Order: sequence, then structure tokens, then C-alpha cells
Amino acid sequence: MAWNEPGGNNQDPWGGKKGGDGPPDLDEALKSFQDKIGKIFGSSKGGGSGSGGASMGRLPIGILLVVLLVVYFVAGFYKVNEQERAVILRLGVYKETKSSGLHWNPAFIDEVIQENVTRKRFHSTQGTMLTEDLNIVDITLSVQYIISDARDFVLNVKEPEVSLRQATDSALRHVVGSNVMHEVLTEGRAAIAVDVQQRLQQYLDAYTTGILVDTVNIENSAPPREVQAAFDDVNKAREDEERVKNEAQTYANGIIPEARGRAQRTIEEANAYRDRVVAQSEGEAKRFEQLLTEYSKAPEVTRERLYLDAIQDVMANTSKVMVDVEGGNNMMYLPLDKIVERSQANLGGNRVELSQQVIDQLVDRTTEQVRREIMSSSRNTTRSPR
Amino acid sequence: MSGRNLVLLVVLAVAVLIGYNSLYIVKETERAVMLEFGRLDQADIAPGLHYKIPLVHEVRMFDARILTFDAQPERYLTVEKKAIMVDSFAKWRIRDVNTYYTSTNGEETRAERLLAQRINEGLRNQFAQRSLLEVVSGERDQLMVDLIESLNRFTNTSLGIEVIDVRVKRIELPEDVSGSVFLRMTSEREREAREHRAKGREQAEVIKADADRQQAVIAAGAYRDSELIRGEGDAKAAAIYASAFNKNPEFYSFVRSLNAYKETFSGAGDFMLVDPDSEFFRYLKDPKGETSQP
Repeated sequence: MAWNEPGGNNQDPWGGKKGGDGPPDLDEALKSFQDKIGKIFGSSKGGGSGSGGASMGRLPIGILLVVLLVVYFVAGFYKVNEQERAVILRLGVYKETKSSGLHWNPAFIDEVIQENVTRKRFHSTQGTMLTEDLNIVDITLSVQYIISDARDFVLNVKEPEVSLRQATDSALRHVVGSNVMHEVLTEGRAAIAVDVQQRLQQYLDAYTTGILVDTVNIENSAPPREVQAAFDDVNKAREDEERVKNEAQTYANGIIPEARGRAQRTIEEANAYRDRVVAQSEGEAKRFEQLLTEYSKAPEVTRERLYLDAIQDVMANTSKVMVDVEGGNNMMYLPLDKIVERSQANLGGNRVELSQQVIDQLVDRTTEQVRREIMSSSRNTTRSPR
Repeated sequence: MSGRNLVLLVVLAVAVLIGYNSLYIVKETERAVMLEFGRLDQADIAPGLHYKIPLVHEVRMFDARILTFDAQPERYLTVEKKAIMVDSFAKWRIRDVNTYYTSTNGEETRAERLLAQRINEGLRNQFAQRSLLEVVSGERDQLMVDLIESLNRFTNTSLGIEVIDVRVKRIELPEDVSGSVFLRMTSEREREAREHRAKGREQAEVIKADADRQQAVIAAGAYRDSELIRGEGDAKAAAIYASAFNKNPEFYSFVRSLNAYKETFSGAGDFMLVDPDSEFFRYLKDPKGETSQP
């Protein structure tokens, strides 16, 4: 038959291939499988041409099946990184969770879902919220989390990370709503982060998301922009308070030592006075005592001498007008101003210009002296008969 | 030969088609119901591989995971008639597939719409019983517990839904109210700032006054001490004078007077009218000194 020849020719290259490449057992199985198919086709149309009838379809179908099997087999392999876990569903039912390494699962029957479980994932949220004392604050918060249970994460919740975001918002607002603004903005931040973490984990556990919250950070907590200026002003006021205090302290530090210095000066001056008057008194007393000693030796002469010395001194230094008139109460014109002028001139150029006031004083004083002298002289006259 | 192959192919195709249509997989994350000519035949089919008769049976599958319903922000009134904007979300999942299918036709959006009405109503009731302060701070947990309980009483039986959690995300004051909150916050800060500045001035005044007092006290103390010292000096001097001069008081007054005359008339400008009859001029007229004694 005409179709036998090409069939025989085709068999050779295929035969050679089978010997070189294909593994014997696989080949064997393939061959028996082909035979079976051949029997099905062949037996219905007649025994003689059975093997010949299959020869046209045998080759492409066989190759196709082998290739498909190999592809299927290879497709079942997958590797799981150290960071990952693989969740295996067999025909839709959870079978197991595999850790890192090379694994094989039948394709189409098993579904493999790989999820990174060690990578730190990050979520940040920012918002304006009410505090317990009904103030408004702006808070930026970040959450770091990992997947602690790949099965829960993959199977239990639709969009588990959206759940995390919403739960974060809710937990944060709950905790901030339970704290007063001062706490939220200052010391209480760390405590609030801890509270948020606990609460968030509680929510996520309730939803069985398989997420483990690693850390919660309050990155920023500030009063809203609308009142920022007032808050800044408080800080400035705090600085002002310190500044004014410092200035006062500066003033105090300035004047007190000065006062102490002046006090010391006053005391030293007093000391000086005391020492001076005591020394003077001592000197004068000593002088008097010595004079007294001499006086007691010759009282009359000493007295006379002392008197004359003193009067001489007085007379020598003063301008004099001798009034040799009996009965000194007569009216007498003395040109006192002229006399004073002359005596001033005698003193020298320096003191020529005396104010009228000084001159008046001098005149007054002189007049007074004159009066006294007259009186004393009259007394002397009365006393002289002694 | 080619005719036989064709038949084979057709048979294969039909077999694959029937197989494909009669086998189905319910995944771990799903719940399914099977309908027989539209009538509910099998409810709550477990995950795994199942079969059905094509064209006779129809399978409907629903998401069995926990779903999130994110509600629109709504305006509620608290017990003191304060308006607040509340943004909430709910976590729910199908509890009874049968009821769920019959009540919602298996449509998630319809279920959520029904749920939203319930949540809205529940929140409105809860907020109406509480003050703003209670809502914002302490009572959120209790509020949610109450709400979930009352929601579940309804949804479990009539929607086949289990509400796992309802949470309030945001509670915000309406814009006009938050404006006055900002004003209040500003005034509070101003008060604080004012207080700081006044305190600073107070302290400064105290410090300065204290410094002034110390200064005055130091000066007065010094004056007192100095007067004491001067008095001491005066007393000592007086004692010394007295002890010396008491030896001859008459002579002392004589010497002292002479000194005083000398001191008094020391100036050259002094001017004196003298009577030649005085003792000093005893010898001026008469060398015997007897003129003045007639």
C-alpha cells in the first residue's frame, strides 16, 4: 500500500530519537498507551490495517501528550523563599502551610498562595481628631506590622490590609478620645502609642486577620494649624517669663553688692571719725596737761603771756579801729563798707570780686563785733576799779 | 479514517464540556448554594470538589470571608442636641447561606445597603442616648457592644449575616462648631500665655523689691553702725577731755577761750573796733600801765 512506505520511513527517525532521548519507562508507558488507542481505533475498522491506521495520528498526539505531561509535571514545582509561607488549597480546601524550600504540588488540583511573612509592612495615617477635653489635635501615626499567620491572612478576611487601616483609624481615635490634649501633645505620646497598639491588635485578632502589629509610632502630634500661633505664643510667653525673671535677678545682682560696698564705706567713715576725734581729744588733753603743769609752776606770768600772745594774734590778723572816745554810746560814723573794701583789696587780686551778699555778711558781722567790743569795753571800764 | 477521528474529537469535547460543567470547586473562602431549576436544593456546601447535573443544577457562590462595610459619614445628634459627623465601618460575614441567599439574592451590595440602614439607625439611637463627651471618650466600647448586639439580633435571623464588629473611625464636629472650638482653644492658650507673662512680671517684681529692701536694710544698718561708732568716738573723746580739763577747769576755760578768740579772728577780713582803755592797751598810753586806773 502506498501509505505503508512513508509510514515505515517515518518510523526510523522517531525510533532513533526514542533510543537517545526518552527515558525507557516513560517511553514504554507511552507506547502501551498508544497501542491502547490504536486498538480502539483499529478494532472497530478491521484487524489488518489496525496498526497502520494509527500511524498517522499516533505521532502528533503522542508528542503532544508527552509534552503536556512534562509541562504539567514541571508546572507543579515552585520554591518558597525563606521569608515566605505557602498556603496550599487542595481542590479549594485548606491542606497545609509550607515553609521555605522547593516543593511540588499538582497543578490545577492544588492552589498555592505565597505570602511574605517576615517583611515589615508599613502603614501611616494622619488625621484630625477630638481629645477627651473636646480639643482638636492633628496626629500622624505609623504602624509596622508583619503577617504572623499566613493561613488567616490569606483565607479569613477580604482585604486584610484595608481592615488594618480602618482598625488603626478607629483605635487611634478611641485612644486619643480617652486622653486630654495636654497628654496627647506632650508626655503621653508614648503611652498612647502603646495603647493604640494593644487596641489595634485586639481588633485584628477579633477579625482573625493573621496580622501582628510590631510597633506603633506617633510620629507627630500637634495642635491644628488654626491654633498653632496661639500655641507658639504660649512657648514664647514661657520664655518671656524666664527672661523677665532673669532681668530682675540681674538688677538685684547689680544693686545689692553696691549697697554692701556703700555700707562698708559708711562704717569705715564712722571708724575714721571715731579714731580721729579720739586722737584729737587725746592730743588736746595731753597738750593741756603739759601746759597746766607749766602753768602751775608760774600761774601769773604764764596767764599774762598766754593772754597777750592770743590777743596779739587776734589783733595782728584783724583790721582795727581804735575808738578813743569817752562814753562810747555817742553817734559815730564809720565808713565800714569802705574799710571792708580796702581790707579786701589788701588781701590780693584773687579775692577782689566778692559778691554783695558776702560783703553784707561781713558788714553785719563787723557791726556785731563792734557792738560787742563796745559793751565789753564799757564792762571793763566798770570793772577796772578793781 | 478522518470521519472516525472527527467523531472521537466531538465525543471528547462533549465529555470535557460535561465534566467541566458538572464538577465545581468550592474554595475555603467561599460558601455555596445549589439550586435545582431555581429551587434551593442544597444549602451551605462545604469547601471541596463537588458535582452537579449541568442545566439542572445551578451553583451560586458567595464570599465567606470577613467583609468590610465602610459607611458614609453621617450626621448624628447627641443627647445634648450637638451635631457630630461620624464615620464608621462594620465587619461582617455570612452566617447562614440559606437565609443570606433568600434575603439578599446573594448580592453583596444589597446586603450592605440593608446593613447600612441598620447600622445608621443603631448609631443614631446609641448617640441620642449619650453626651458628646461620653461618645468621644469613655463609652465607645460600650456603645459598640450594645450596637453589635442589637444589630445581630436582627441580621442573624433576617439577613443571615453575622456582624462581628462595628467601629467608629472618626467623630468630627461640623465645620461651624469646630471653628468655635478653635476659638476656644486659642483663648485657652492666650490665657495660659498671659498667665506666664504675668507670673514672670510678678516674680521679677518680687525679686526687684527684695533687692531694694536688702539695699535699704544694708544702708540703714550701715548708718546705724556708723552712728554707733561715731557716738563711741564722741564719748571717748569727751571722757578724755573731761579727765584732762577737770584738773583745772578755770585754766581750761581761759586757754580754751584764748584759742577760740584766735580761731574766730583768724580771717584777715575781720574787723575790730577796740577801746584803748582795755587791758591789752594798758601800756599803750602809759608806760607804767596805770592810765586805765584813774
